[in-house]
Amino acid sequence: MNAKILTFSSDGDKTLLEYDPATADMEEVNEMIAEYEAQTGAQPFDMATGERIEKVTRDQNEVLMVHPIAGG
Amino acid sequence: MLAVVHFRHGGIPMAPAILSVIAFLALVVWRFVFAGMHRWPLVRPIAPWQHRRNDILQEGLHISDPGDVAVVAGNVFENSSGSLDPIDRRDPAIVFLRRVVALTGATEMGEEYVLNVGATRFHVRNGYIRRLRDAADPKRGYEETCFYPVHNGMPKAEEIATALLQLANNPALFDKWALKNGQAVKADGQLFSRAE
Repeated sequence: MNAKILTFSSDGDKTLLEYDPATADMEEVNEMIAEYEAQTGAQPFDMATGERIEKVTRDQNEVLMVHPIAGG
Repeated sequence: MLAVVHFRHGGIPMAPAILSVIAFLALVVWRFVFAGMHRWPLVRPIAPWQHRRNDILQEGLHISDPGDVAVVAGNVFENSSGSLDPIDRRDPAIVFLRRVVALTGATEMGEEYVLNVGATRFHVRNGYIRRLRDAADPKRGYEETCFYPVHNGMPKAEEIATALLQLANNPALFDKWALKNGQAVKADGQLFSRAE
Protein backbone atom coordinates (compact mmCIF):
# COMPACT_ATOMS: atom_id res chain seq x y z
CA MET A 1 0.00 0.00 0.00
CA ASN A 2 1.33 3.43 -0.92
CA ALA A 3 1.95 6.12 1.66
CA LYS A 4 0.56 9.63 1.17
CA ILE A 5 1.47 13.13 2.21
CA LEU A 6 -1.75 15.17 2.28
CA THR A 7 -2.83 18.69 3.02
CA PHE A 8 -6.13 20.51 3.29
CA SER A 9 -7.19 22.53 0.27
CA SER A 10 -10.25 24.37 -0.94
CA ASP A 11 -11.59 21.05 -2.28
CA GLY A 12 -10.95 19.02 0.85
CA ASP A 13 -7.82 16.99 1.32
CA LYS A 14 -5.25 17.03 -1.46
CA THR A 15 -2.42 14.55 -2.04
CA LEU A 16 0.96 16.29 -2.25
CA LEU A 17 3.05 13.14 -2.59
CA GLU A 18 2.41 9.44 -2.92
CA TYR A 19 5.17 6.86 -2.57
CA ASP A 20 5.94 3.26 -1.73
CA PRO A 21 7.28 3.33 1.85
CA ALA A 22 9.18 0.08 1.30
CA THR A 23 11.35 1.47 -1.46
CA ALA A 24 11.12 5.26 -1.28
CA ASP A 25 14.11 7.39 -0.39
CA MET A 26 12.86 8.78 2.94
CA GLU A 27 15.49 11.49 2.94
CA GLU A 28 13.99 12.78 -0.27
CA VAL A 29 10.47 12.59 1.20
CA ASN A 30 11.57 14.58 4.26
CA GLU A 31 13.35 17.12 2.08
CA MET A 32 10.14 17.67 0.16
CA ILE A 33 8.25 18.10 3.45
CA ALA A 34 10.84 20.60 4.72
CA GLU A 35 10.54 22.55 1.49
CA TYR A 36 6.76 22.61 1.77
CA GLU A 37 7.02 23.76 5.40
CA ALA A 38 9.39 26.55 4.42
CA GLN A 39 6.92 27.77 1.81
CA THR A 40 3.67 27.40 3.76
CA GLY A 41 4.51 26.91 7.44
CA ALA A 42 2.62 23.59 7.41
CA GLN A 43 3.99 20.84 9.65
CA PRO A 44 3.50 17.06 9.42
CA PHE A 45 1.02 15.11 11.55
CA ASP A 46 0.68 11.33 11.58
CA MET A 47 -2.96 10.60 10.73
CA ALA A 48 -2.81 7.22 12.46
CA THR A 49 -2.16 8.82 15.86
CA GLY A 50 -3.04 12.49 15.35
CA GLU A 51 0.42 13.51 16.63
CA ARG A 52 2.81 16.01 15.17
CA ILE A 53 5.99 14.38 13.91
CA GLU A 54 9.45 15.77 13.29
CA LYS A 55 10.38 13.36 10.51
CA VAL A 56 8.39 10.99 8.38
CA THR A 57 9.47 7.34 8.61
CA ARG A 58 8.48 4.22 6.70
CA ASP A 59 5.96 3.43 9.45
CA GLN A 60 3.70 6.35 8.54
CA ASN A 61 1.21 5.64 5.80
CA GLU A 62 -0.71 8.89 5.91
CA VAL A 63 0.78 12.23 6.88
CA LEU A 64 -1.20 15.47 6.97
CA MET A 65 0.60 18.78 6.50
CA VAL A 66 -1.19 21.11 8.94
CA HIS A 67 -1.11 24.81 8.14
CA PRO A 68 -0.38 27.61 10.65
CA ILE A 69 -3.20 29.36 12.45
CA ALA A 70 -3.49 33.04 13.29
CA GLY A 71 -5.74 34.41 16.01
CA GLY A 72 -6.53 37.57 17.84
CA MET B 1 -52.06 3.74 -40.25
CA LEU B 2 -52.78 0.02 -39.70
CA ALA B 3 -56.54 0.67 -39.33
CA VAL B 4 -56.74 2.08 -42.88
CA VAL B 5 -55.11 -1.06 -44.31
CA HIS B 6 -57.61 -3.31 -42.53
CA PHE B 7 -60.75 -1.83 -44.15
CA ARG B 8 -59.53 -1.84 -47.73
CA HIS B 9 -60.12 -4.84 -50.00
CA GLY B 10 -58.44 -5.77 -53.25
CA GLY B 11 -54.89 -6.26 -54.45
CA ILE B 12 -53.84 -2.71 -55.26
CA PRO B 13 -54.08 -1.15 -51.79
CA MET B 14 -51.94 -3.95 -50.32
CA ALA B 15 -48.72 -2.42 -51.58
CA PRO B 16 -49.14 0.81 -49.59
CA ALA B 17 -50.27 -1.29 -46.64
CA ILE B 18 -47.11 -3.39 -46.73
CA LEU B 19 -45.04 -0.25 -47.11
CA SER B 20 -46.81 1.25 -44.13
CA VAL B 21 -46.12 -1.82 -42.00
CA ILE B 22 -42.46 -1.80 -43.06
CA ALA B 23 -42.22 1.90 -42.28
CA PHE B 24 -43.82 1.35 -38.89
CA LEU B 25 -41.45 -1.51 -38.07
CA ALA B 26 -38.49 0.59 -39.21
CA LEU B 27 -39.66 3.38 -36.96
CA VAL B 28 -39.89 1.01 -34.00
CA VAL B 29 -36.39 -0.40 -34.68
CA TRP B 30 -34.97 3.11 -35.18
CA ARG B 31 -36.43 4.27 -31.89
CA PHE B 32 -34.97 1.37 -29.92
CA VAL B 33 -31.53 1.59 -31.52
CA PHE B 34 -31.09 5.36 -31.31
CA ALA B 35 -32.76 5.79 -27.95
CA GLY B 36 -30.40 3.12 -26.60
CA MET B 37 -27.35 4.86 -28.10
CA HIS B 38 -28.32 8.12 -26.44
CA ARG B 39 -28.80 6.58 -23.05
CA TRP B 40 -25.39 4.89 -22.71
CA PRO B 41 -23.21 8.00 -22.62
CA LEU B 42 -25.26 9.29 -19.69
CA VAL B 43 -24.57 6.18 -17.67
CA ARG B 44 -20.81 6.16 -18.10
CA PRO B 45 -19.79 9.41 -16.36
CA ILE B 46 -21.99 8.62 -13.38
CA ALA B 47 -20.49 5.21 -12.70
CA PRO B 48 -16.92 6.34 -11.81
CA TRP B 49 -18.28 9.13 -9.56
CA GLN B 50 -20.52 6.66 -7.78
CA HIS B 51 -17.56 4.33 -7.33
CA ARG B 52 -15.33 7.15 -6.04
CA ARG B 53 -18.05 8.38 -3.72
CA ASN B 54 -18.40 4.94 -2.19
CA ASP B 55 -14.62 4.76 -1.70
CA ILE B 56 -14.57 8.11 0.10
CA LEU B 57 -17.45 7.14 2.32
CA GLN B 58 -16.10 3.75 3.21
CA GLU B 59 -12.59 5.02 3.83
CA GLY B 60 -13.63 8.04 5.87
CA LEU B 61 -16.39 6.49 7.90
CA HIS B 62 -14.53 3.27 8.54
CA ILE B 63 -11.83 5.15 10.43
CA SER B 64 -13.89 7.85 12.05
CA ASP B 65 -16.78 5.91 13.43
CA PRO B 66 -16.95 2.12 13.52
CA GLY B 67 -20.66 2.37 14.21
CA ASP B 68 -21.22 3.68 10.70
CA VAL B 69 -19.50 0.82 8.95
CA ALA B 70 -22.45 -1.51 9.17
CA VAL B 71 -24.66 1.22 7.73
CA VAL B 72 -22.29 1.80 4.82
CA ALA B 73 -22.15 -1.90 4.08
CA GLY B 74 -25.92 -2.06 3.96
CA ASN B 75 -26.76 1.10 2.08
CA VAL B 76 -24.41 3.98 1.39
CA PHE B 77 -27.28 6.39 0.86
CA GLU B 78 -28.99 5.68 4.14
CA ASN B 79 -28.84 8.49 6.67
CA SER B 80 -28.61 6.95 10.10
CA SER B 81 -25.57 8.48 11.77
CA GLY B 82 -26.79 11.50 13.66
CA SER B 83 -26.21 14.88 12.03
CA LEU B 84 -24.26 13.61 8.99
CA ASP B 85 -26.72 13.93 6.14
CA PRO B 86 -26.20 12.46 2.64
CA ILE B 87 -24.68 15.73 1.34
CA ASP B 88 -22.17 15.77 4.21
CA ARG B 89 -21.16 12.20 3.41
CA ARG B 90 -20.04 13.33 -0.06
CA ASP B 91 -18.01 16.19 1.36
CA PRO B 92 -14.39 15.09 1.91
CA ALA B 93 -13.82 17.99 4.33
CA ILE B 94 -16.62 16.77 6.62
CA VAL B 95 -15.35 13.22 6.40
CA PHE B 96 -11.85 14.40 7.31
CA LEU B 97 -13.17 16.46 10.22
CA ARG B 98 -14.89 13.37 11.58
CA ARG B 99 -11.61 11.48 11.40
CA VAL B 100 -9.82 14.24 13.32
CA VAL B 101 -12.62 14.39 15.90
CA ALA B 102 -12.20 10.65 16.48
CA LEU B 103 -8.38 10.92 16.60
CA THR B 104 -8.35 13.74 19.14
CA GLY B 105 -11.17 12.35 21.28
CA ALA B 106 -13.22 15.49 20.74
CA THR B 107 -17.01 15.38 20.87
CA GLU B 108 -19.48 17.22 18.71
CA MET B 109 -22.01 19.32 20.58
CA GLY B 110 -24.34 21.17 18.25
CA GLU B 111 -22.21 23.51 16.16
CA GLU B 112 -19.10 23.20 18.30
CA TYR B 113 -16.53 20.57 19.20
CA VAL B 114 -15.44 19.98 22.77
CA LEU B 115 -11.83 18.96 23.24
CA ASN B 116 -10.28 17.95 26.55
CA VAL B 117 -6.50 18.15 26.76
CA GLY B 118 -5.41 17.15 30.24
CA ALA B 119 -7.39 19.34 32.62
CA THR B 120 -8.08 21.96 29.96
CA ARG B 121 -11.30 22.06 27.99
CA PHE B 122 -11.69 23.83 24.66
CA HIS B 123 -14.84 24.58 22.72
CA VAL B 124 -14.00 24.94 19.02
CA ARG B 125 -16.50 26.29 16.53
CA ASN B 126 -16.39 28.10 13.23
CA GLY B 127 -13.72 30.81 13.67
CA TYR B 128 -13.72 30.86 17.50
CA ILE B 129 -12.17 28.89 20.34
CA ARG B 130 -13.15 29.12 23.99
CA ARG B 131 -10.98 27.83 26.81
CA LEU B 132 -12.81 27.15 30.05
CA ARG B 133 -11.05 28.48 33.13
CA ASP B 134 -12.14 25.37 35.01
CA ALA B 135 -13.30 22.34 33.05
CA ALA B 136 -14.99 20.98 36.17
CA ASP B 137 -16.90 24.22 36.75
CA PRO B 138 -18.05 25.94 33.53
CA LYS B 139 -19.57 28.77 35.61
CA ARG B 140 -16.08 30.09 36.35
CA GLY B 141 -15.99 31.59 32.88
CA TYR B 142 -13.83 31.27 29.81
CA GLU B 143 -11.34 32.99 27.53
CA GLU B 144 -12.03 33.25 23.85
CA THR B 145 -10.03 33.92 20.72
CA CYS B 146 -10.89 33.97 17.08
CA PHE B 147 -8.75 31.87 14.75
CA TYR B 148 -8.18 31.38 11.06
CA PRO B 149 -5.74 29.21 9.12
CA VAL B 150 -3.29 31.25 7.08
CA HIS B 151 -3.99 29.00 4.11
CA ASN B 152 -6.87 30.70 2.29
CA GLY B 153 -9.89 28.94 0.88
CA MET B 154 -9.92 26.01 3.27
CA PRO B 155 -13.41 24.61 3.99
CA LYS B 156 -14.76 25.50 7.45
CA ALA B 157 -14.76 21.84 8.47
CA GLU B 158 -11.02 21.64 7.77
CA GLU B 159 -10.35 24.87 9.64
CA ILE B 160 -11.92 23.27 12.70
CA ALA B 161 -9.98 20.04 12.08
CA THR B 162 -6.75 22.05 11.88
CA ALA B 163 -7.43 23.75 15.22
CA LEU B 164 -8.42 20.48 16.93
CA LEU B 165 -5.27 18.68 15.77
CA GLN B 166 -3.00 21.50 16.88
CA LEU B 167 -4.67 22.06 20.26
CA ALA B 168 -4.67 18.34 21.03
CA ASN B 169 -0.90 18.31 20.50
CA ASN B 170 -0.07 21.66 22.04
CA PRO B 171 -2.79 23.33 24.16
CA ALA B 172 -0.45 26.29 24.84
CA LEU B 173 -1.05 27.37 21.24
CA PHE B 174 -4.29 28.93 22.44
CA ASP B 175 -2.32 31.65 24.28
CA LYS B 176 -0.16 32.33 21.23
CA TRP B 177 -3.18 32.68 18.97
CA ALA B 178 -4.83 35.01 21.49
CA LEU B 179 -1.75 37.16 22.12
CA LYS B 180 -0.01 37.22 18.73
CA ASN B 181 -2.80 39.10 17.07
CA GLY B 182 -2.94 38.24 13.38
CA GLN B 183 0.43 36.49 13.30
CA ALA B 184 0.65 32.99 11.87
CA VAL B 185 1.76 30.39 14.41
CA LYS B 186 3.03 27.00 13.31
CA ALA B 187 1.96 23.79 15.07
CA ASP B 188 5.22 23.75 17.04
CA GLY B 189 4.48 27.24 18.41
CA GLN B 190 6.99 29.09 16.22
CA LEU B 191 5.86 32.18 14.36
CA PHE B 192 5.70 31.88 10.60
CA SER B 193 6.23 34.55 8.02
CA ARG B 194 6.33 34.20 4.26
CA ALA B 195 9.87 35.56 4.23
CA GLU B 196 11.03 32.54 6.24
